[in-house]
Amino acid sequence: MVTVNPWLLLVYSVPRHPTSARVFVWRRLKQLGAEALQDATWALPSGTRTLEHFQWLVSEIREMRGRATLWEARLAAGDERALRRRFEEPVEAGYRKLLADLRRRGADRPAIARRFQQLQSRDYFECALGRRVRTALQKKGKP
Amino acid sequence: MTFVTWENVGVDRIGSAWLIRRFIDPKANFIFIPRGAPVPKGAEAFDIPGARLSHHRGHCSFHSIVRLYRLKDPALARMARIVDEADTLQDVSLEPAAAGLDAICRGMRLTSRNDGDALKRGGEIYEALYALISREGGKR
Repeated sequence: MVTVNPWLLLVYSVPRHPTSARVFVWRRLKQLGAEALQDATWALPSGTRTLEHFQWLVSEIREMRGRATLWEARLAAGDERALRRRFEEPVEAGYRKLLADLRRRGADRPAIARRFQQLQSRDYFECALGRRVRTALQKKGKP
Repeated sequence: MTFVTWENVGVDRIGSAWLIRRFIDPKANFIFIPRGAPVPKGAEAFDIPGARLSHHRGHCSFHSIVRLYRLKDPALARMARIVDEADTLQDVSLEPAAAGLDAICRGMRLTSRNDGDALKRGGEIYEALYALISREGGKR
């Protein structure tokens, strides 16, 4: 998706207590595959799905008496490529692990397929490796 | 009563509208506003950030409506879990129907003339799901 502002930035703070609120937000950010630019500034590539998830997170943070703002941003100074790599690298590492696991004798293919689906939801830049995992999973299924 | 939500409805808004019309207000009237636009006076907002009938503590709007209106039907509890998985991030996936329902609802908006039409046609999908789950007793 090409947009004028290719990044979404979530800036937030939540009260120290209860700790469950902090954990809730942190886990959401991890599930989304967001990257921390600074302590309380998290980035995601802009898109319909990421925008929706971040908007809900903002309202949930406010409900927990925290503060949050969501920004649509474009990098004016800095290394865009390096930022992008921060999203690609963990996903690619995950895909490589899946390919290695698939090569093992008696590989648990249903479990690998589930892990593949989870990774795919965070594969914002659609790595080529993802297509390889999909092909490998389909091929190995044939008798 | 008039209910208002953002344009371009998806899985949670189609489901919530079905739920409202089916179990809360059969005469409900739905209107649609652009994302972020102010909510008209006298209308009940749903699936809009900050509204009563919206996401709370990691649950989708459908789930919140079932809870706030104390709808005790076990089939609706099960459907709330399905919409939760379709629309929000959950730790574990238990409902294979979730991803399919999400995809069908997105497609429904593409093949509908407008949001009102998408709610009407999407409502049929939810009615079908409800029929099946009710028959299974909402359990599993």
